[in-house]
Amino acid sequence: MTKIYETMVLLDNDVVRQDWRKAKAIVTDTVAKYGGTVESCRRWDERRLTYPMARKNRATFFLAYHDMSGDKIPGFRRDLELNELVLRYMMLAVEEVPEEERKLAAEEDGAEYEVPAPPEDDAIEIAEEEEVPADVVDLEGIEAPSALADEPAKSDA
Amino acid sequence: MKRRVRTVIGSKNCDDPVIDYKNIEYLEKFLTPQGQILSRRRTGFCTQCQKQLKTAIKRARHVGLLPFVG
Repeated sequence: MTKIYETMVLLDNDVVRQDWRKAKAIVTDTVAKYGGTVESCRRWDERRLTYPMARKNRATFFLAYHDMSGDKIPGFRRDLELNELVLRYMMLAVEEVPEEERKLAAEEDGAEYEVPAPPEDDAIEIAEEEEVPADVVDLEGIEAPSALADEPAKSDA
Repeated sequence: MKRRVRTVIGSKNCDDPVIDYKNIEYLEKFLTPQGQILSRRRTGFCTQCQKQLKTAIKRARHVGLLPFVG
């Protein structure tokens, strides 16, 4: 049975910077591969994530409405999960495609639409650990506690 | 005896905006500073709307639009 689905896909900003069309094709081609028809697909937003995903702080959000047969869904999900450029996705069954979405997607498909370049701070900065020199820990100068020094050595007998 | 005053955030009749996981500005109103979902006593929603709110917030958390923790 064919249903209409709303799929939100989070894509790596590096791909969007390289080629916008290629980034969009990741979503549309995967839908087409599993026999679905894309009703609308557009860039919903580019924003900072509230928690890092795959060592990224920012992502581009794609919102796609498409129909697909129920038996193709597991394969479609698997394809998205295995794609390293897809940070995360969410798929929901909906009743119909909103008219506003169709309009916005049509505007975006126009030739004059320009994708704003994502900001540069999408990768997580990991602080480098300082290396501890080997000669810092020097135990030779440390004296034994007086209580231990005065204690007579125990004999085995 | 001093009576505690409780602030209700949501609307009682639940007629206002559609509860959708993409409507982040609206959903943020129903979270504590630590990121927890407010109770129905605080939101003022009916059972069905509170359930929709819970689902929408959890969906928004999954796609990184809302935080799990503050």
